[in-house]
Amino acid sequence: MSKSRVSRLAVCVLLVGAVAGTESFVGAQESATAFSPSRLWDGKTPDFRGIWRAQGTAYVNVEGHKGERGIAASTSIVVDPPDGKIPYKPEALAKRDENYRARATADPSLKCYQAGVPRATYLATPLQILQSPGNFAIVYEENHAFRVFHPNTRPHFDAADWWMGDTRYHWDGDTLVADVAALTDQLWFDRAGNFHSTAVHIVERYRMTGADTIEYEARIDDAEVYSKPWTLRMELRRVKDRGARIIEDECLEDENGVRHHVSPYDRKNLLKSDYSRWKTAAPE
Amino acid sequence: MTLAHSRKRLSAIGLCITLSTGPARTALAQGVPTAPTASPAVAALPRLPDGHPDLQGLWLKSAGGFQGLFIGSLDGTNFAAGGGARGPAPPRYEYTPEAEAEWRDRQRRNYEDPEARCHLPGVPRALDQPAGLYPVQIIQDEKSVALLHEAMHDVRIIPTDDSPHPRKYWAWDGDSRGRWEGDTLVVDVANFNGRTWLDMQGNFVDENEHVLERFTLVDRDTILYEATVTDPTVFVKPVEMRFTLKRVPAEQQILEYSCLEGERSLQHYTEEDGGKKQRVR
Repeated sequence: MSKSRVSRLAVCVLLVGAVAGTESFVGAQESATAFSPSRLWDGKTPDFRGIWRAQGTAYVNVEGHKGERGIAASTSIVVDPPDGKIPYKPEALAKRDENYRARATADPSLKCYQAGVPRATYLATPLQILQSPGNFAIVYEENHAFRVFHPNTRPHFDAADWWMGDTRYHWDGDTLVADVAALTDQLWFDRAGNFHSTAVHIVERYRMTGADTIEYEARIDDAEVYSKPWTLRMELRRVKDRGARIIEDECLEDENGVRHHVSPYDRKNLLKSDYSRWKTAAPE
Repeated sequence: MTLAHSRKRLSAIGLCITLSTGPARTALAQGVPTAPTASPAVAALPRLPDGHPDLQGLWLKSAGGFQGLFIGSLDGTNFAAGGGARGPAPPRYEYTPEAEAEWRDRQRRNYEDPEARCHLPGVPRALDQPAGLYPVQIIQDEKSVALLHEAMHDVRIIPTDDSPHPRKYWAWDGDSRGRWEGDTLVVDVANFNGRTWLDMQGNFVDENEHVLERFTLVDRDTILYEATVTDPTVFVKPVEMRFTLKRVPAEQQILEYSCLEGERSLQHYTEEDGGKKQRVR
């Protein structure tokens, strides 16, 4: 009897969906007194390297929320439209409200899935920007997700839908402008059920407003879900703690097959054996 | 391995290649064996301003698989097989008697391979992926060398300041600290949580694992990768690995690897495979 091994299939996901739009939104503002960031060793590329963390608790609800269970309240980070509300079409709003009611179990992030764009940016956990002349990537601590930003000299690879999208970028002065498409419709923007379809098209703008601050903006267009494009904006601050690093974040299954984040500092739970029977005494 | 078995694997792998290689990458072509280049033109190596070799780019293991994997063609050729003219010799594992028994048991229940559950592969398995399948993107500056692996979206950001390992930290990928020895990046990896397997055939380590890796740019398109794995509670002798990474042509790109998000494997385990009890609900 041959043992049929199909575990490699586990690595393969194909979510064929609609091809996202490709028209580019060009943001407007570039302050006259813009901060001039330091440069990489090529002498010209703005240096965004470092560990950064979003301020605030927009990860609960990008439209704002009351404080609860030890999480501070947040105002809406939606800056356009000015009322701070995502301009849902009526049927899409109904779906968002349904998501909200089911959020305790339906939020995809509860399953330790990659958070998507822009959600990964304003999580409670930090991110690290890796950069060298011609290279730009972001590593997000949560679920060790990462995005490699590709120059926009070639079109999106959108034959499939991705959890972290397909990113093409260019520099608009000292602002990095990233065009993101090919996102799956399985993603939420936050814990409150705000969502998009596979038609979503996002233009991100990363601009250093000081040595330790990045203004992050995402303009989100999805004609299937919203009546018009909308924009969120928030600030990333540099994590300056000495020796700060992105730590490993991996989930473990419990006896019911449910995954939980287990910190690499949590030796007790890490060494608790779910299927490995090998026991050794490790030096402390 | 029966022919039917091989074909079954072939179709699974074929799908993976289709999905993981993007519009232009020809994965199996990358799997064609290439011997490490012997005489590098050291002076011609790309370098960063700090003088160290520039390891940046997209790289793919050029030959050799890991044990238990079939990447093949319809005539039964297994490009993932180690040894011979096709690639590097497979590593030799010399277990302690207790660990040998554990390894044999894990071979019987190889459906418990943590990578089949989308877990981080650990070190050196992060690099020791099947030839030609999953590339690694390297981004480097004067302070660190970052390895962004397509497989399992595994990330290692390795400081190159020879700083000490942390205390009370146990990770799937351990903790990596690098230093330059001449033109070779030497990485010391410790702080493992002992959960990872080394391959699909039950070869394993525990939390006493310690790895010394060496990345050497032998020409602008070839990195020689060497790893020495020690684990006093598992092996009586260090395990040595050695293979090459080849540069992927610039018109190709790393893709996303969603594993957990689209897990479609465990449901295929049957009772005959012993996997029924392991099926995720």
